[in-house]
Amino acid sequence: MQTFLTALFTGTSHGAIYALVALGLVLVWRGAGLINFAQMGQAMFSAYIASTIINHHINYWWAFIVAIIAGGALGGAIDVLVIRPLKKKSGSSILSSPSMRDAIPVIASLGILGILQSAAGMIWAGEERGFPAPVSTLGLSIGKRAMPFTRFDIFVIVLIWLILIATTLLLNKTSVGLAMRASALNMEVARLSGIRTRSIRTLGWILSGSLASVAGLMVAPATNVSPNSLDLLMIIGFTACVIGGLNSLWGSVTGAFILGLTISFINIYDAPGDVFLGIFAILIAVMIFRPSGLFAKGKARNV
Amino acid sequence: MKFKPMTAVAILAVGALSFTAIPAQAADPGVTDTEITLGMQLPQTGAASPGYNKVDDAMRAYFDYVNSKGGVYGRKITLVAKDDKYSAGLTISTASSLINESNVFAMVGSVGTQTHSAVIKDLNRRGIPDLFVNSGNSAFYTNPSKYPTTFAGLGTYVVEAKILGKYIKATYPDKKVGILYQSDDFGKNAIQGFTTAGLVFTPGKTAAGFIAGTQGSLGITSQLKQLQDAGVQVVIIASVASTTAIAALTAKALNYTPDKWVVMSVGSDATTFQTILYTKKIMPAQSAAMLAGIVSASHAPSPGEATDEYVAAFKKINDQFNTGTDKTWDNNVLQGMNIAYQTVEALMGTGKNLTRKALINWMNTKGSTLTSAALAPVGFSSKTHEAYTGFWIGEYDATAVLKPVGASRVVYTTDSAAGPVTISTFKRPAISADALPKAA
Amino acid sequence: MFKIRRNASIAIAFFVFVFAIGTFVGPYNQGQIAVALTLFIGVLSINILTGLSGQLSLGQGALMAVGGYGCALMMINAHLSMWLAIPLSLIASALVGLLLGLVAAKLSGPYLAGTTLVLALAMPTVANKFDSILGGDTGLSIDTGMPPTWLSKVMGDIAIEQWNLYVSLPFAALALFFAANLFTSQSSRRWRAVRDHESAAALVGINVERTKISVFVISSAFAGVAGALYGLRGLVGPSVFAISLSLSLLTGSILGGLRSIAGAGLGSVIIVFLPDWIGKVIHPFSLSDQVTNYLPAFVSGLLLVLTVVVNPSGLAALFAKIFRFSRVKR
Repeated sequence: MQTFLTALFTGTSHGAIYALVALGLVLVWRGAGLINFAQMGQAMFSAYIASTIINHHINYWWAFIVAIIAGGALGGAIDVLVIRPLKKKSGSSILSSPSMRDAIPVIASLGILGILQSAAGMIWAGEERGFPAPVSTLGLSIGKRAMPFTRFDIFVIVLIWLILIATTLLLNKTSVGLAMRASALNMEVARLSGIRTRSIRTLGWILSGSLASVAGLMVAPATNVSPNSLDLLMIIGFTACVIGGLNSLWGSVTGAFILGLTISFINIYDAPGDVFLGIFAILIAVMIFRPSGLFAKGKARNV
Repeated sequence: MKFKPMTAVAILAVGALSFTAIPAQAADPGVTDTEITLGMQLPQTGAASPGYNKVDDAMRAYFDYVNSKGGVYGRKITLVAKDDKYSAGLTISTASSLINESNVFAMVGSVGTQTHSAVIKDLNRRGIPDLFVNSGNSAFYTNPSKYPTTFAGLGTYVVEAKILGKYIKATYPDKKVGILYQSDDFGKNAIQGFTTAGLVFTPGKTAAGFIAGTQGSLGITSQLKQLQDAGVQVVIIASVASTTAIAALTAKALNYTPDKWVVMSVGSDATTFQTILYTKKIMPAQSAAMLAGIVSASHAPSPGEATDEYVAAFKKINDQFNTGTDKTWDNNVLQGMNIAYQTVEALMGTGKNLTRKALINWMNTKGSTLTSAALAPVGFSSKTHEAYTGFWIGEYDATAVLKPVGASRVVYTTDSAAGPVTISTFKRPAISADALPKAA
Repeated sequence: MFKIRRNASIAIAFFVFVFAIGTFVGPYNQGQIAVALTLFIGVLSINILTGLSGQLSLGQGALMAVGGYGCALMMINAHLSMWLAIPLSLIASALVGLLLGLVAAKLSGPYLAGTTLVLALAMPTVANKFDSILGGDTGLSIDTGMPPTWLSKVMGDIAIEQWNLYVSLPFAALALFFAANLFTSQSSRRWRAVRDHESAAALVGINVERTKISVFVISSAFAGVAGALYGLRGLVGPSVFAISLSLSLLTGSILGGLRSIAGAGLGSVIIVFLPDWIGKVIHPFSLSDQVTNYLPAFVSGLLLVLTVVVNPSGLAALFAKIFRFSRVKR
């Protein structure tokens, strides 16, 4: 029973982190129509900045705030410097094909990821740095009973749920959120009704960049910070979106928790070597029966 | 113009013939009257690089020291190191670059087991000496007829596991023993050695594996929980140094306090352990306390043994001559300098007439006389190319230094097969005043 | 028919050209050319899959792995000669491509990208799962062996790297031939139709799903041969076919030109030789190790972004425009 509970809690707290990654991806997908593979590269870069600040003996929370600002700034910079010129481009024949129009920005994000990772390597020598957690990661005992989770696990889960709720409120209850949803649904119509779609899209990038930074800071205590440390997180977060459905925010979040629990249970009850195969198996199963994800909102047919 | 492919082929083939007849090489590459060029490959960047990327700078530091004293028979040693990012496909290209463009005389101290598998056959085929490979994979060294030019730079994992296994059986006969291992050849070799020593592991209960490299990203919580639930009281760790640090923290989080941690030498670097924990706000005093009592093995003195004459001499040379970005003194630096010391000794032993064949021959016949900081003898002979056949067992004290268990240091020795573990009678010769090896 | 004759001549000219260059350069560059030829076949597989039929795959490296392991198993367990094992390995990868295609054909853009990415991640772990057959982490050791004695007698001393070149070259030329035929065939019109306007293609009667699957199979066959050749350099193992390989192939395809064979050639030359060129350029500057080790990856990421923003059709299309080669709308 203890084992089961540990698997459950580890899975949930990891799932929460994957959910944050998935959330950022969905925001950019809905706002800009592409998968931002550079997202966790942004997170890694801001984690390095935070780590440098902490190494100068400055309080963790200041570093936390700087990291979030840095992540957002990077996101905004990518939108302004790369995505805007990309969207303007229409001359090339290659962009006449819709599948290519979708694929090209994804490839751009892969290039940006490469730039971020090698830049981090050049600036910080690719050195692997430990990273502190803001809350104790040591064993937690309530009364005399040892709990199968730590204070940090609780902190992560609570923080991320707050962020998820805040984001949902932002999207559904504020005019900015309305503008974001409108632009995602139909950019032409949104622009015609007076929404400044370009700024809204940049806002989406900034928000997603900040969220990614939080995810990176939450996971850095475990993975340490190095140029490639967040690669696996990116892949799992992306898989969560695919499983849950890219168009559905809460669907992707659910997908993240499903993956977190799956990985945890495979680790404990089966062999760790099967983890990636397990992820692949789930992915294929979902893709066969629900090719747009478990919670996809119906299939749109363009005729 | 009608395109006649066949004519073109014929013309070019004839043309090619006149260019490809290369006269046979007179002398070995990489050796001139004034210079010896050596090569090595290691992961300088990428996920597998932390720690290992200091080895080449440490080696170069010692070579520079030797050069400042006149070199080996007047020849200065140049070390060319290439980054293979721990990707076996790249290792093949960098090896080709070292052989064909840098014209190295020999390879020394290459790091990485899987990456070395990609090039070992070709190196041997070309007769290039492949000395002091930084891998404990016994398959590279136990069959010299297959790999005549490859010699080990580390004791094999099997040897170490056998020695540690015997110690565990003798010291903790009634405790439940379990192992946390990375599921690659290192882990498998370790399990093989421990099993030969008589320990029995049950997968799913007392044996917990994890994919090498994921100890940080996927964590090892479930693995340690599994060992905790199985009632394991003595936990063996067969993995790299970052795993040890993560295991210490994770166990604390799980309130898991085994009676003993036994960490294999690859994972037992106090500096790395404390550095990782320091960045998690765990002060050196506290992390040293966490380290205290952990059992490990080594073939050389602990890098923290400041009074050991080799450690002191190497440290001084490192301070003066190491030009790398990170030259913090630790096990990797000690190992690097040790390999460089042995390389110089082998070159000196081979003599002024330095050829590849002569060097290999010297290693086969006189290699067993190689001395270095190591407290165990090397086992080089024409029958086996294993290096350190012995380890001493130690426990970390409160100041993060590995001290021998028992009153005095005992070095045990065994083979990579099923032979028994016995006590070694090797006495390490003193270091010379100028920290240069003596010619044999 | 005329087209096939023309494509054959191009392939033969390619063979002769590369053979000639191969004899003038030193062993290291011969080895690099051999890698470029091998990756050329891999990049072709992407140009066929993504360039012609518009399906973005991030996991061609995994299909190369299938070919590599297939070839290694045939050579080690069935004692086949490599000349047999290499072509046969395409059967293994084509089969996996078929299975993948059955699932992938139903997936749109990002879902396909995600599935192939996870495939690229999971494939190396299969080697560890069945490590008794697949060699686990140490991998399976295969290589091209020594050049045959008759060739050494005719040509004199042949370096191993040179022999690698001579082994890769015929397969690269054959791949070029088949790819050229594919690019100008009737089937490719169907593929382009599916790529450019899927619903219209369906309305016209093209079986979109079957088309997508068949492209997957063909592209995987190319990847399999590339994988076999890549493994024959010395090792078939998990780190040889890591995710970075899939991403390198994609980079080469975009930089060189996604929609042409010349683009595939240019792209594979770039990804192989770029680190060497950068090394030569920065050599006089004595930069720290820290910078030099990461600079090639930085430049390649930068080039990728610049290409995608400024010239998405790649270098080959740019040259074609400059020298006005292209009359056909791709």
